[in-house]
Amino acid sequence: MAHQVGNIDFRRHLDRSFWSATLVMGVISAILMALVVIWPINDTLAAASDTAHTIDPIFKFMLFFAAPIFVYVNGYVIYFARRYKHRASEPADAVGIPLHGVTSLEIWWTVLPTVLMVVLGIWSAIGLFALYKPQPGALNLESIGHQWSFEFRYPGLKKSFYGNPYVPVDKPVTLNITSADVIHSFWVPQFRIKLDMVPGMVQQLHFTPEKIGVYPVICTEYCGVGHGDMQTTIHVVSQADYNAWLAGMQQKEQTAQAQGPNLAAGDPDKGKQIFAQKCSVCHNIAPFAQKKVGPGLQNIFDDPQHPKLVDGAAATPANVAHILQTGYSGDIGVMPNAQANGLSSGDIADLVAYLKSQSK
Amino acid sequence: MTTDTIQILRPAGAPIHPAPESFVKKYVFSIDHKVIGIQYFITAGLMMLLSGLFAEAIRIQLLQPHNTFLTAQQFDEAFTFHGTLMVWFGAIPMITGGFGNFAMPLQIGARDVAFPWLNMFSFWTFPPAVLILLSSLAFGAPNAGWTEYPPVSLQAGVGIVFWTVAIFTVGIGATLTGLNFLTTIIKMRAPGMTFTRMPLFVWATGVTSFLSLVATTALASALGSLFLSHVFNIPFYDPARGGTVVLFQHMFWFYSHPAVYIMILPIFGVVSEIIPTFARKPIFGYKLIAYSSVSIGLLSFMVWAHHMFTSGLGPWVTLPFMILTMLIAVPTGVKIFSWVATLFGSRMRLTTPMLFTLGFLSTFTLGGITGVMLASVPVDWHEHATYFLVAHIHYVLFGGTVMGALGAIYYWWPKVTGRMMSETLGKWHFWLTFILFNTTFLPMHFVGLLGMPRRVAYYDPAFQGLNVFISISAFCLGVSFLLLIVNMFWSKRSGPVAGPNPWGARTLEWMIPSPPPYYNFREVPEVYAHPYSYGEPLPYSAPYNQVSTTPTY
Repeated sequence: MAHQVGNIDFRRHLDRSFWSATLVMGVISAILMALVVIWPINDTLAAASDTAHTIDPIFKFMLFFAAPIFVYVNGYVIYFARRYKHRASEPADAVGIPLHGVTSLEIWWTVLPTVLMVVLGIWSAIGLFALYKPQPGALNLESIGHQWSFEFRYPGLKKSFYGNPYVPVDKPVTLNITSADVIHSFWVPQFRIKLDMVPGMVQQLHFTPEKIGVYPVICTEYCGVGHGDMQTTIHVVSQADYNAWLAGMQQKEQTAQAQGPNLAAGDPDKGKQIFAQKCSVCHNIAPFAQKKVGPGLQNIFDDPQHPKLVDGAAATPANVAHILQTGYSGDIGVMPNAQANGLSSGDIADLVAYLKSQSK
Repeated sequence: MTTDTIQILRPAGAPIHPAPESFVKKYVFSIDHKVIGIQYFITAGLMMLLSGLFAEAIRIQLLQPHNTFLTAQQFDEAFTFHGTLMVWFGAIPMITGGFGNFAMPLQIGARDVAFPWLNMFSFWTFPPAVLILLSSLAFGAPNAGWTEYPPVSLQAGVGIVFWTVAIFTVGIGATLTGLNFLTTIIKMRAPGMTFTRMPLFVWATGVTSFLSLVATTALASALGSLFLSHVFNIPFYDPARGGTVVLFQHMFWFYSHPAVYIMILPIFGVVSEIIPTFARKPIFGYKLIAYSSVSIGLLSFMVWAHHMFTSGLGPWVTLPFMILTMLIAVPTGVKIFSWVATLFGSRMRLTTPMLFTLGFLSTFTLGGITGVMLASVPVDWHEHATYFLVAHIHYVLFGGTVMGALGAIYYWWPKVTGRMMSETLGKWHFWLTFILFNTTFLPMHFVGLLGMPRRVAYYDPAFQGLNVFISISAFCLGVSFLLLIVNMFWSKRSGPVAGPNPWGARTLEWMIPSPPPYYNFREVPEVYAHPYSYGEPLPYSAPYNQVSTTPTY
């Protein structure tokens, strides 16, 4: 027969020691909960849009209740481990109190968390519908994800551009997002919102920027080897600065270059640097078969086994310049075009010159 | 009855197989659930160690914001292999095939599972699947994460074929194991063992087996669609030719959400065994824990799209998934409170298995809390696919599954081998794991909230400090696993003999010798009550009520 140390009547264990421990945990919880309430999230991560103000309070609400749950679970584990530790002086077969359950307690700790989840659910549902709601008079923009850059279309600009979008502060925006190839995602941490850029489908992000500044736009859905570098920045500016920027973009469109790159003026040393920065993720200067993602380019102009480029054109400097300009997308893979890669005409000329210098 | 004529006493059941004699029948193609359990454990354990090496490679790359230790392609393959090996070739086979196989039949007083040959066949889908997956490293490896979303997963070429075929193969074994275990639990419990007298590990294994049986086939359709897309150019996922990209995510997550419960429910069962054993008192709220396992199992089929809150479902489809995800937190929370209440009024012995279990209570609770944060869609739109998510999954999968599995290893090791492990090495292992786990994964919450996405080989230099801290912790955490390996070898060589019941536990596996004879139980035990009433006589027929329940360590 086993010895019993401790009393069957469990209420004897709800003694001073137990309640003191519970009180201490309560005080620690209260301190943490107070810190959650007064913590200014915006000092750690700027809240630059109305959507941030929808989302941050829900996060705080959850953190507020997470604190006592965390403190009490850990606290009671530590307290019970110390108080009820089996001492070497006790019989080896000592057992604890034969308590199989306390129905009223079990009801409470089922009902209270359910109530908490219902409250959280209702608040989150309100937030969910608010985030999906288009705002009247919104500036309608488009962003198309590519491997590995963001393309933007604006009303008032005939052509799209790759790079940094500008938006005027305090004006609602509807950003229509999709993808030209694989799934990407459009996340601005300071706006607290992201949605996936899905090929074949358009999703809408609705937000009103509230704080002038420059914020990162980050791709958050794995999209291939360039995923880690797929970022740009969104500029929230005053209405006047926005108008000036838009006018400047329209100006650039009108005076866009018609002629192609001047291959004779290409600088192979500059081309080498550009190659290292922009091409070496997928290509190397090596024989064709030594692929990284794309083929080795050492003998691109002079390889009897591979006289054509991937788009079927003969491997001449002019055609290489062309494919760098237009990019390539097909069954065997994707190469970003000049705009996505941020290559100017001069850059293309430099790259062609570099590739010529490497060809044996 | 003599020692070499074993007779069945129950009316239903086939004659027991005679003892195997050849090396091949004993150790290679064994139909003994205990041997198969060990085979699963060793294979899955090796795969988890390999996966850990991939993880360390990731952490070396992330020491610098634009490191060149790995190319982006190699980095992508590294996180793909890390996740793939851990889920399908590590956690699921170790927990279901390893612990489930060894312990569940013993706990119900059975001599083996319902279909022993099928059990052996199920195991042998596992090593070929490993070879298929690992050979992809030579021919073109998959690189789009363990989730392999199309269209990007189809750009890697033949790697996706290796990946889908490997997982499909091991999935056959997993489905059959689910069928096998569910049948065993329903049909082969010892006389008198009603469902409410079953150990909680058996409840957990039963629900898990149902999930394995039903959900794995959904994965087959997801894998099959990728295979057909690549091999036969069927445009399931090409919008230009009529395909829909998000369809894959529905099929994949319809399985993969129940899969995460496959990885945690048996661990909940193990925790429910270890705590009463070392608290020396009954589990608090047995029925609530048993029924909450069933409700978690059912609810797990209804929450899959919480992985897709940013994928384009629209608010009305998103809403019910959000509500159900928040609700599934309740039965899980109930279990945690019940386990803590079991510690109240106990006579607690802080052995290594108990320490890992208490550590589990801390880390899994935190993982559950961040899970609720991700369940709220507005907050998820900030946190999804960032390092906050990576922190959450590792708190529940490492802080939950691995911590609990380590507790199970230390707990059942004496039964499997007949030897005790070193408590000193075990305690060092626990404390290093617990501290280094938290220093590795806690900072990931912050780095994610501040703007670091997941699956990136390069990051904003502002995050370098935290990443270096995480990486160094991770290296130390990896090294700390050596303590377990050393302990295992030490125990086999010079561990003290364990005897049948060193922990003084009360479930049936502890009523037979360590290691058990191949037939497990000489006579079929009868069961008169549930096992957790410490202080009462053992509720079994003779000779199974004669083993001492006084701890001998």
